[in-house]
Amino acid sequence: MLRKFLYLLIILPLASCIEPYSVTVEEGAQLLTVDGMITSGPGPHLIKLTRSDTYGSVFEGLIRPVGNATVIIRDDLGQVTFLSENVEDRGIYATPADFSATVGRTYTLQIQTIDGKVYTSLPERVESVPEIKDIDLKVIKIAVEGETLERSGVQLIAEFDDPSDQNNFYFWKTGESTFVLKTRPDLYTPRPSDTNTSRDPQPKDCCITCYKTEQLGNEGIYLAQDDNFNGLSTSAAAGFIEDDGNRFVDTYRTDLKQFSVSQEAYRFLRLVKQQTEISGSVFDPPPANIRGNMISLDDPEEVVLGYFIAAGEISKRVYIDGNQLDYRQPEVIIPDDCREVEGAQLEPPLDWNP
Amino acid sequence: MKKLLLVFFLLLSHLGFSQTEVKREVVGRDIGQLKGIKISGRIIDEITGDALVGATVTVPELEINRITDNNGSFELILDRAEYNLQFRYVGYTTIDYPITAVGDGRISIKMLQEDFQLDDVVIYGSDPEKNIRSTDMGAITMSMNTMRELPPFLGEVDIIRSMATLPGVSQVGEASAGLNVRGGGADQNLIQFAGAPIYNPTHLFGLFTSFNADAVNGVTLYKSVIPARFGGRGSSILDIQPKAGSIAKWGGDLMVSNFSGKVGFNGPIVKDKVSIRGGFRGSYINWFLGALSNPDLKNSQANFYDGNLVISAPISEKNEFTYSYYTSYDDFAFSSDTTVSWKNNSHSLQWKSIVNDQIGFEVLGYYTQYDYSIFNRSGINDFDLNSGIKDYGIKAYLYYQFSETNKVTVGGDFKNLELQPGDLVPSMGEESGILPKKVQDEFGRESGVHFQHEFEIGEKFGMSYGARYDMYSYFGPRIVRQYGENQPISDGNAIGETTYGDGDEIQNYTGLGPRGSLRYSFSKSSSIKLGYNKMYQFIHLISNTATIAPTDVWKLSDNFLKPQIVDQVSFGFYNNFRGNIFETSIEVYYKDIQNVIEYKDGANLILQNNIETELVPANGRAYGVELYVKKNLGRLTGWVSYTYSRSLRQVITPFEEEIINDGDWYASNFDKPHDVTLIGNYKVSTNTSISATFGYSTGRPVTFPEAKFDYSGNSLAYFNRRNEQRLPDFHRLDLAVNFKLNGKGKFFDGDWTFSILNVYGRKNPFSLFFVDQLGAPPQALKLAVLGVPLPSISYSIKF
Repeated sequence: MLRKFLYLLIILPLASCIEPYSVTVEEGAQLLTVDGMITSGPGPHLIKLTRSDTYGSVFEGLIRPVGNATVIIRDDLGQVTFLSENVEDRGIYATPADFSATVGRTYTLQIQTIDGKVYTSLPERVESVPEIKDIDLKVIKIAVEGETLERSGVQLIAEFDDPSDQNNFYFWKTGESTFVLKTRPDLYTPRPSDTNTSRDPQPKDCCITCYKTEQLGNEGIYLAQDDNFNGLSTSAAAGFIEDDGNRFVDTYRTDLKQFSVSQEAYRFLRLVKQQTEISGSVFDPPPANIRGNMISLDDPEEVVLGYFIAAGEISKRVYIDGNQLDYRQPEVIIPDDCREVEGAQLEPPLDWNP
Repeated sequence: MKKLLLVFFLLLSHLGFSQTEVKREVVGRDIGQLKGIKISGRIIDEITGDALVGATVTVPELEINRITDNNGSFELILDRAEYNLQFRYVGYTTIDYPITAVGDGRISIKMLQEDFQLDDVVIYGSDPEKNIRSTDMGAITMSMNTMRELPPFLGEVDIIRSMATLPGVSQVGEASAGLNVRGGGADQNLIQFAGAPIYNPTHLFGLFTSFNADAVNGVTLYKSVIPARFGGRGSSILDIQPKAGSIAKWGGDLMVSNFSGKVGFNGPIVKDKVSIRGGFRGSYINWFLGALSNPDLKNSQANFYDGNLVISAPISEKNEFTYSYYTSYDDFAFSSDTTVSWKNNSHSLQWKSIVNDQIGFEVLGYYTQYDYSIFNRSGINDFDLNSGIKDYGIKAYLYYQFSETNKVTVGGDFKNLELQPGDLVPSMGEESGILPKKVQDEFGRESGVHFQHEFEIGEKFGMSYGARYDMYSYFGPRIVRQYGENQPISDGNAIGETTYGDGDEIQNYTGLGPRGSLRYSFSKSSSIKLGYNKMYQFIHLISNTATIAPTDVWKLSDNFLKPQIVDQVSFGFYNNFRGNIFETSIEVYYKDIQNVIEYKDGANLILQNNIETELVPANGRAYGVELYVKKNLGRLTGWVSYTYSRSLRQVITPFEEEIINDGDWYASNFDKPHDVTLIGNYKVSTNTSISATFGYSTGRPVTFPEAKFDYSGNSLAYFNRRNEQRLPDFHRLDLAVNFKLNGKGKFFDGDWTFSILNVYGRKNPFSLFFVDQLGAPPQALKLAVLGVPLPSISYSIKF
């Protein structure tokens, strides 16, 4: 008892606390936001247009897509590419599938909204990007307050040779991923209803093994610049795949995409990253205005949010064998036919080759 | 004739009789001097031999009071006559000391500490009328005795936090040891220990101050008219004087609290000639951290210690040498892969000399070093990032006293500064795909000459004027970039480089800083004062956070970054009531600051060789009113202070993208208009006292998002205008009970102090931040550093 009391006394000063706080935020402006990237990789490349809204949970506004705009990409040779809006998913404009940016070319994005206003990006030059030599894996554990079980996942570490003759700015994203999904149809228990009152499992015959394809979402922003490793063979943290209890039961496959971005785009992404990583610690930097590279041609005072990135792209595929990981989450049992899981199918992708 | 002789003898014997009756001491060698007799002396503690700084010497016949200096010395100019001198000091028995002054001479006084006699508690450590009479404006001396009356912070007297209870002095929040004095930044204060500057006087990221109160004799804060011998910082000087050991006998002290422990010793190395005092304080928080179940805390480590050594040699009555050493060390590991550590080391050697009745001088040399490091052991690209400051210098001044109320001081100083802003080293052992990178070291020299003249005209007027001429030089080796003219300073606009060799001057600045103050006394208990000063500052703290942190970068003025220039005018009215039981003051000030540093949005400050690309110069402005009422005597003592102040910034440059808040004035990070402090100490009985501190201030400015937007799957906040909103108001109550047990040799003898910080557990927000968490709408969160009532126990003994 005394020991516990002592611990309490010692620890209290460190146990600073973080809790929600409700603020009254003024109604937010509906500012045009550009979220898009074209790369030297295969198309189509997407540009998403939305409008900002009021910040906050209580007065939460809805981010609305901006549809029916004319969106074009122009390069420094005067070539113009028209983007077409996705009919189902408004506000998303796609280049033709055969469109890719060319290394060394400079691109600008131009938008005319339905109300006739014209916006343009500053020119973005596509830089070359070195190959990913190898992808290392590292299991990361994340302690969770109040839980005995730690979260965990696999960190992707890209190895590459940084070219010494230029200043490089790197950005990584994971592409489409597929993994072997194992379920337990034998444990299938439908929700009791009037017609089926039993609470016992009613096993299904099929299926145990599927291949689930997904696009990893918000796992952090991975960036590096070569100030500290110019011309060296180096490695950098390039992605994170959280272990949800299913992904690493068997084999997980993902494509790691490495982009070379411009210095300005890097600065923009760094500010985005900085904001997403704010923890409220006493060392946090003050909030920064994240200025992008879009301007209004009609009203120079108008604020346009977001950034149009043109980047060199290189991609490398990695298969992760769950059995090789030194720590995994306990398996989460899905008591159903694996085909019932969204994005899952029986057949592996054609190029599945672990 | 016989009758005459008889009368003469009778007279003599009568005189002799009366002399033995009052034990009047005849002071001085009688050479027939009638006027201008100079009696000097020194007051020490009879038991410990410590010099008593700030004790009062009263000559009731002439209605004059003198205060002992840092050495415990005082000086009186008297006519040939009898006087009933009186010596007073807080917590000591008053001594009546009748003398007959017949010639220049010296007296030595030993005072005995009294054990808190109930009705005689006085919290002024100095002359009760000093606030009225001195021409020093805004100079506040706080004795350690006064600080001990405040509720302790984690069981200890905290010097910087104690100063923050004074009007016009504030702190950003609960985890920051930096002071903001009258609207100035944390780097605008020169904190010096025994004359040597200390760059980061904090433990545990500013949770508390790294000065051990037992090693400190007294603390003086100059916040408005700063004496001309100080320079180099814009807002204030916090002068901390070390405490010398006893030249009479050996002693020691010991303190343990639930957080840290300390031991100290002091005594004569050579009896009556050379004394030593040493102290060490360390934390044992780490022993407990490992035993915890919370994963974050279990893998965290915190260590700190600090140590002091003072060797003092009063080799003659007129010459004293003092050597002081101070060290502090901290490390803090977050979840075991990143460790942040910092340490201070400083040495100083002081020679104080009194040449004759009129002339005296002081020479001080110091060397101070501040090192801070970040160690990354995350497993990928492990590195060490080391930074540091080396600062050494010499200062000297000489005074000439025309008369008791007319004194001139002249002097000069020189310092050499070497800054290592960042050195990135791939760590040994593991393969690290990282290049070593070293930001260029910086070299600067600061020197100054100064004079000051203080005098009084009659009883009513007092005046002090002076000036300090600062010279600063920034020199190589260094490679300096050039930027295109009429273009913002940014990486993209660099057009060339110039290489400067070792010792080549790159830039120099000079500045004349006049100081002056004027006092008019209406009566012995009431006066007004007017003051003006101008300060130059050549070293800047480049910090994107609101506190002094080991991740901060110190930077010298160079060809891009101009010195900060602070102009301040102040006016004060002072009135004491009821025989100095109550002390009141009102002070008003206005400050103009040029070349304050502001940051471009999302500035990247670490390992930045061209940091000028991340900064923008700003104008600063601060003004305020400070009200202060203090009760010095009685069972209940304490003070109330209220400050209304503003601290504003403005950034206008020719380049639109650098302008902040459209060029309008906006609140600085530490602008807290209303600030109230209530402090009370109540003596319940001889051995028991209760103390309380209550503080209230307006919440500090924050920036709220103006909208949210989506980018790359993240919901982001759009921030536009800085510091337009505020955190909720800050208020907190601290309580402490102190028991002094004097049971002669029993185990529990000593001082027991129980305190509770944040009694009603208010979660005062340190910061407010906006996050987008998966599965939830973006929202605001607040971080409170002290979210709960925080008890502490400490026990200390002296032997």
